[in-house]
Amino acid sequence: MKLNHREYAGFREGMTVADVIRESRFTWPNLVVRLNGTVVWPEEYGNTVVGSRDNLEVIHLLAGG
Amino acid sequence: MKRLEKNEALCIGCRSCEAACATAYYKTDDSAYACIRIEDGNSENAEAEFTIHVCNQCGKCAEVCNTCVIQPNAKGVYMIQRKECVGCLMCVGFCPEQVMVQSDDREEPSKCIACGICANACPTGAIYIVED
Amino acid sequence: MINICNVARYQGPTEEELKKLRDSHVLLSSFEYERTPLFRGYTDKILTIDVGTKEASVADIPAEVKEKFIGGRGYCLRYLWDAVNPETRWDSPENEIVMSSGPIGGITQYAGTGKTLIATISPLTDIPIDSNVGGFFGPYLKFAGFDALEIRGKSDQDIVVVIDATRQTVTFEEAPLEHFDAHILCEELTALYADDENDKKNIAVVTAGSAAEYSNIAMLNFSFYDVRRGTTRIKQAGRGGIGRVFRNKGIKALVCKVDKVKGNLNNVYDIGIINKTGLRFHREMVQNDAKQNDMRGVGTSYSLRTLADYDLVPTNNFKFGDAPGIDNMTAKVLKSDWLTQGAADGCWYGCSMACAKASDHFLLETGPYKGQRVCVDGLEYESASGLGPNCGIYNPRDILEINFYCDTYGIDTISYGTMTAFLMECYERGILNKERTGGLDLTWGNAADDLEMLHQMSRNEGFGKIAALGIHKQKAYFAEMGWGDLSEMNDFGMEQKGLEYSEYSAKESLAQQGGYGLTNKGPQHDEAWLIFMDQVNNQIPTFEDKAEALFFYPMFRTWFGLMGLCKLPWNDIVPADNALTDDPKMVPEHVENYKNLYYGVTGQRITTDDMILQSERVYDFQRIFNIRMGKGLRADDAIPYRAAGPVFEEEYLSRQERYDRQLVEIVGLTEEEVQGMSVQEKMAATRKYREDQYQTLIDTVYRKRGWTRNGVPTVEHLRELGMDLPELLAVVEPLLAAEEA
Repeated sequence: MKLNHREYAGFREGMTVADVIRESRFTWPNLVVRLNGTVVWPEEYGNTVVGSRDNLEVIHLLAGG
Repeated sequence: MKRLEKNEALCIGCRSCEAACATAYYKTDDSAYACIRIEDGNSENAEAEFTIHVCNQCGKCAEVCNTCVIQPNAKGVYMIQRKECVGCLMCVGFCPEQVMVQSDDREEPSKCIACGICANACPTGAIYIVED
Repeated sequence: MINICNVARYQGPTEEELKKLRDSHVLLSSFEYERTPLFRGYTDKILTIDVGTKEASVADIPAEVKEKFIGGRGYCLRYLWDAVNPETRWDSPENEIVMSSGPIGGITQYAGTGKTLIATISPLTDIPIDSNVGGFFGPYLKFAGFDALEIRGKSDQDIVVVIDATRQTVTFEEAPLEHFDAHILCEELTALYADDENDKKNIAVVTAGSAAEYSNIAMLNFSFYDVRRGTTRIKQAGRGGIGRVFRNKGIKALVCKVDKVKGNLNNVYDIGIINKTGLRFHREMVQNDAKQNDMRGVGTSYSLRTLADYDLVPTNNFKFGDAPGIDNMTAKVLKSDWLTQGAADGCWYGCSMACAKASDHFLLETGPYKGQRVCVDGLEYESASGLGPNCGIYNPRDILEINFYCDTYGIDTISYGTMTAFLMECYERGILNKERTGGLDLTWGNAADDLEMLHQMSRNEGFGKIAALGIHKQKAYFAEMGWGDLSEMNDFGMEQKGLEYSEYSAKESLAQQGGYGLTNKGPQHDEAWLIFMDQVNNQIPTFEDKAEALFFYPMFRTWFGLMGLCKLPWNDIVPADNALTDDPKMVPEHVENYKNLYYGVTGQRITTDDMILQSERVYDFQRIFNIRMGKGLRADDAIPYRAAGPVFEEEYLSRQERYDRQLVEIVGLTEEEVQGMSVQEKMAATRKYREDQYQTLIDTVYRKRGWTRNGVPTVEHLRELGMDLPELLAVVEPLLAAEEA
């Protein structure tokens, strides 16, 4: 499974998007999540399962002011 | 305290209130210029077919104005001091009922002042002025 | 939680105090002018004031200048270039301070449209500093009839210059009794020049502060009157020491007074599209801010605890990126204990992002105002992290007090924080000790002695005189005194080009190292904030990708500084459907908003390419200006190693697993080799790799920007931009010839 185009070392069968976000410590409030190019909304993080061949993008939107 | 109150179950969706308000203040019956807004459907009240959005003088507009140009008068009706208003439109954006009016031909927005014109136009008494 | 409705109004100066001030004013000269009304965002006039001769004059801004320099930072740099020569230093009589808002500045309907841009030759860097600031001055300058203000000369006595749009006069006055510290001076001048209480909002003041007189890291305060609180508030043009130039010119304050503010003083081309765009943004804030960053609740410090989760908050002089103490500084704590809630905290009209928070009736525990309750303008992210974790301080109370005194003394919180962090590390390493600091114990976290040093800066006493120098000159001084090794201090002194770094750790992001190192003015993040894109999102993996980002983002972000716009509403809130767009990090709907605002004001339609072109002209102009002033070539883009990797063992060991793994996965050593290496050897290998990477990065970026290997814009590229101006060619041609030879 790829997370942001890198091999994701923490992959486990049956893990959800929410698991990946939590275990990666992605606490940033402004995320855009796409699973194989399709947007996953925050309400769906907990029930969207990631597969071993999936491409998960967790895009952090910019900061800096 | 004076304000416009509503009984949504009585509303028949004729929108005379919108027309009356817009005509009185903007010389048009275009409901975009009314400080009262009728919406089809009502998800909260099973006995109502329409939702009436009125200014309930909640004061949110006054809260978001950074120059305090919206103030309650003696009857609790929030009034915009047009002379001091810079036309930033934050009040219009933040109104919880979305019943403030912005018009490109004016520098300041407007709001319900509980004048009662809409209540007079209403055929069913679904809206009425209350003064406690 | 403190709510604004429970905040008592502040007491301003009494009538008696005002009378004393008024009576003590001496009118030195007065100049009358005819106010040019704004048309489509411009008056095309520049006001020049000479504080030496106490004269003012108004000139037209030529069409070619407007076409190529647009406004804001462009105008500031253009006029500054014309005033100075390569030998000019910050305190040369010909140095100028130039201020300008921008065509969109002063509209009231959209968030973040009140910025002023300022430029001068910096006492820290010896090259132009450009800085941006909120508050009302820039828009008021426009309403008074001027797209820009040029300040030249030096006054022997402290003066106040008053631009009075109601009387159409510019007056030069002696104001001997007013305080120097900003929080009082702004109150005094606002009360003095306002016709009555209701008129106070029509006054904008620019001041420095008592420490600005002596310190290179001095800034300018720009005020606005907070009607609800009954007090002046101040925003800061922080970077680069502009406050020192201001005080060196003998200026106590600038005042601008207008009749009133209304929604279309800019006389825009299409008010309808501006109204519509503004309303759209206000509604977006209502619906989304609480769920996203809660800017209205906390301001920019919302990000502090979360950025620490990514190891990005500088702690102990950028050694580390997180610390347990940061749990004391979460958005939740700041909201519940320190920052007043429910106030309409925009720093210009129409800012529904409203991030200019305040800590009201804050009780000061130290210094000349000890025991008084004041309004602290804060707590912005940079101040929070720079004054806080970067110095090992985690108590919001202490940080707010340091923030307050920096503001009122006229000291840049970013430079002060990064510099204090440097001094604390010097103290830790024995380069400084109590004897050398005159008794100050600069141990990490010692807020009390940190504050004492700040007070000494204001009095120009003791170690405060050393603190006033800034890191670059401190390193030289400590080396000269034999206290420390210069090359070691160069590694951990976080300054570049003479300017202190702003408060993000770029250690693990090569793109951000370039973002900081290649910024024209010095390491300030306003040109590029690429850390997430690089380190987390992995969206710019190759050198080409990074170079593309280091071309596009600085140019795009520069545009805001031409217009008089604040960047925060661009990406500190996003529309609910932003995730569905092609490029969510650009926030396409907001880019569209900005194009609509530009069109609405000027009547001109622009594309993103047009925005980049407008910026690139000014950007390359500034690069060549740097070269002209002696610091704009490749060698000057070098960065201190602390900005790119672990300088000392404790830093390497704090991330050992990651760094060891990188030696294998990225640098290409074998696991056995790495296991057999000492920490010092691993550090040396890491350093060599990272330093080489940086060199390759800047090669790629220069190419992308149309510059040579030495960082010089080529003639062809300048021609493409329409910037093959004779004065620019005169600077670059000899260098290009030498490079080719």
